[in-house]
Amino acid sequence: MGESWFRREFLTPRRAVFNVLFYGLQLAFFAYGWWAQETNKKLSALNALKWSVWVSRGAGLVLAFLAGCMLLPMLRNVIRVIRPKVAFLFPADENIWFHRQAAYAMAFWSMVHATAHYVNFYNVERTQVRPEFALDVHYTQAGGITGHFMLLIMVLMYTTAHHKIRHQCFEAFWYTHHLAFFFFIALWTHADGCFVRDSTGPAYTDTFPFYDPKFCLGYESWRFTIWPGIAYFFERVWREIRARRATRLSKVLVHPSGAMELRIVKPSFKYVAGQWLFIQIPEVSRYQWHPFTITSAPEDPYVSVHIRQVGDWTYALGDRIGAGPSVVSAMTKAAMAGAEKDDSIYGMRGDFVEVDTSVRSLPEVRIDGPYGAPAEDVFNVEVAVLVGAGIGVTPFASILKHIWYRQKKGALQSLKRVEFFWVCRDAPSFGWFQTLLQEVEAAQVDPNFLRINIYLTQKVNEDMMWNIAVNDAGAEYDPLTLLRTRTMFGRPDWQGIYARMKQAIEVGQYLPGINEQLKTTVGTYFCGPPVLGRAIHEACKENTTANINFTFAKEHF
Amino acid sequence: MGNLIWHEWARYVAITASVYTIWAAFEGIYFRKFFWDFIGGILRAPGGLQPSPNVSFFVTIIVKAPIIQILSMLTGATLVAIEYPAPFLKGTSIHRSFVARIVLLILHAFIAVLFYQGTNGALYALIAAMAYTRAIMLGETMEEAKNNRGRGGQA
Repeated sequence: MGESWFRREFLTPRRAVFNVLFYGLQLAFFAYGWWAQETNKKLSALNALKWSVWVSRGAGLVLAFLAGCMLLPMLRNVIRVIRPKVAFLFPADENIWFHRQAAYAMAFWSMVHATAHYVNFYNVERTQVRPEFALDVHYTQAGGITGHFMLLIMVLMYTTAHHKIRHQCFEAFWYTHHLAFFFFIALWTHADGCFVRDSTGPAYTDTFPFYDPKFCLGYESWRFTIWPGIAYFFERVWREIRARRATRLSKVLVHPSGAMELRIVKPSFKYVAGQWLFIQIPEVSRYQWHPFTITSAPEDPYVSVHIRQVGDWTYALGDRIGAGPSVVSAMTKAAMAGAEKDDSIYGMRGDFVEVDTSVRSLPEVRIDGPYGAPAEDVFNVEVAVLVGAGIGVTPFASILKHIWYRQKKGALQSLKRVEFFWVCRDAPSFGWFQTLLQEVEAAQVDPNFLRINIYLTQKVNEDMMWNIAVNDAGAEYDPLTLLRTRTMFGRPDWQGIYARMKQAIEVGQYLPGINEQLKTTVGTYFCGPPVLGRAIHEACKENTTANINFTFAKEHF
Repeated sequence: MGNLIWHEWARYVAITASVYTIWAAFEGIYFRKFFWDFIGGILRAPGGLQPSPNVSFFVTIIVKAPIIQILSMLTGATLVAIEYPAPFLKGTSIHRSFVARIVLLILHAFIAVLFYQGTNGALYALIAAMAYTRAIMLGETMEEAKNNRGRGGQA
């Protein structure tokens, strides 16, 4: 970690504002809910229960606020549209992060609310302010039973959403999270039991909302929390409509590294480089949508995604299109072996096999998206530093291709240079990406525009070391990646890299025509594990000066 | 993507269940009530619920003295110690045993279901016990922590 909790939460201005607003609002709602209950003359009978009823009502109001917040960050299409307009205000790409913060807060306030209600119903039974058993309130009235039901749903949803479970079994997370539907039904009917009332019996009616608001004096929070729910419902309907538009899987390419490239033609699908999409293949699974980064550039006549066969769904897909695990693993092995004894310039690693479609037809696909990613604004900075780690390199396929197309058209806007970093453990497993890099590298006219830096972090054994030593010396291409750029070994020293870049910009070496007096923005776009991201973010912050602004953006997928 | 490793999921449910119960039992010490006292009990105003004399044993160990609450706190704490795991249990056979957990979880559920605040904790403990049972049926084993990095594929 390195930095203290206080520094992270309060000494970063944006984070501090968020914390004050988000948690301040919760406390304010709590205080208001408490006060409104305590001072309500009509509810004096209920107020005989004293602090427990005040706490439960306060916490209940906070929970309504949080449940309203819960769905807002999941309105992906809305976020995609408003993202460019609000990027300065809050990081719209951190929507899942916000969703989680709201969830954590909700767990805490649920504890407060439920604890207080346990005391309430206990005292209702003891003092008989209402002639009923505590268990009646708990399990036979709407408020109690929906509350217990929501708690159970929360246990299931929270436990399966833990990153460990989510990564090992996305399906479990995906299906369980749809319990949210029942959760919200329970939430909106939670007050229908009319626990908060000034009449002795609950004032039910036969018409919507089935209780009489004259006597049932709850906060009527469902009138507010239902709107995000309706918005989310329409979001899902819209996604479904869009997904049903004409889509055709035109080609499947199998790369020796094991990645399947699906080339999909969908004329109605408009996207920009660096975005991602959801894909569904009804024949493999009827309901599952899987997120993938788009690897084609918007200029390409198709949308492509690269899928590595790593899980149930991806294996099943491989089987279905005739590129089953056995085929791929054989190819991968050949590629890994070939990586070291390959001596032709454009070796076999770049070759791919197109799946023969004459034997059996390709499956139907549906795609949904695109959804935003910060790399959209790569053309607004002078220097773009693209850092991909491992599989995190995929969004940059699209971006590099896109830059290449734009370069050909001469429409690079303010972008002057691109530094591309690829940190990976074993380069041969990303054969398809090397092919792309080769193309992009070969197309470079200005040797300074794009610089590719590849770092291999795996342990190099003796054979490989000799191989490198012998093949590398004097060769035009790097023996491992077949690029002109030399592969570097070990982990990159980010502080050093950024400090050197800063220096070079300051003396005017790095960007001809731009010297110290002009403001320069160096945008870093990172995709990979959080630890690495933090290190790079630190380096960015430390090297920012008055005239050189190092910005940092993280991709999520 | 990949297969759900049941015992890893069960662990989170078990931790939730035991922490919930510890908190509930703490509250239960202040607001003592036998959950099942409505059976044969009568309501009197004022005076509240009068439990049936048949359950006086439970009333003694829950209302007169909060024995059940303290016991469920203890089982809850034991479960947290096994699941988290506490340093002295790490790598021991108890830590790796699913059967021990199932037994403890069911015992925990049985104790927790007796007092007023503990029923949800008992329910979650039973869910965790079922998930561990499923893990045994699938032949899952607890691996050493360093191999246990949440990678997909085989458990």
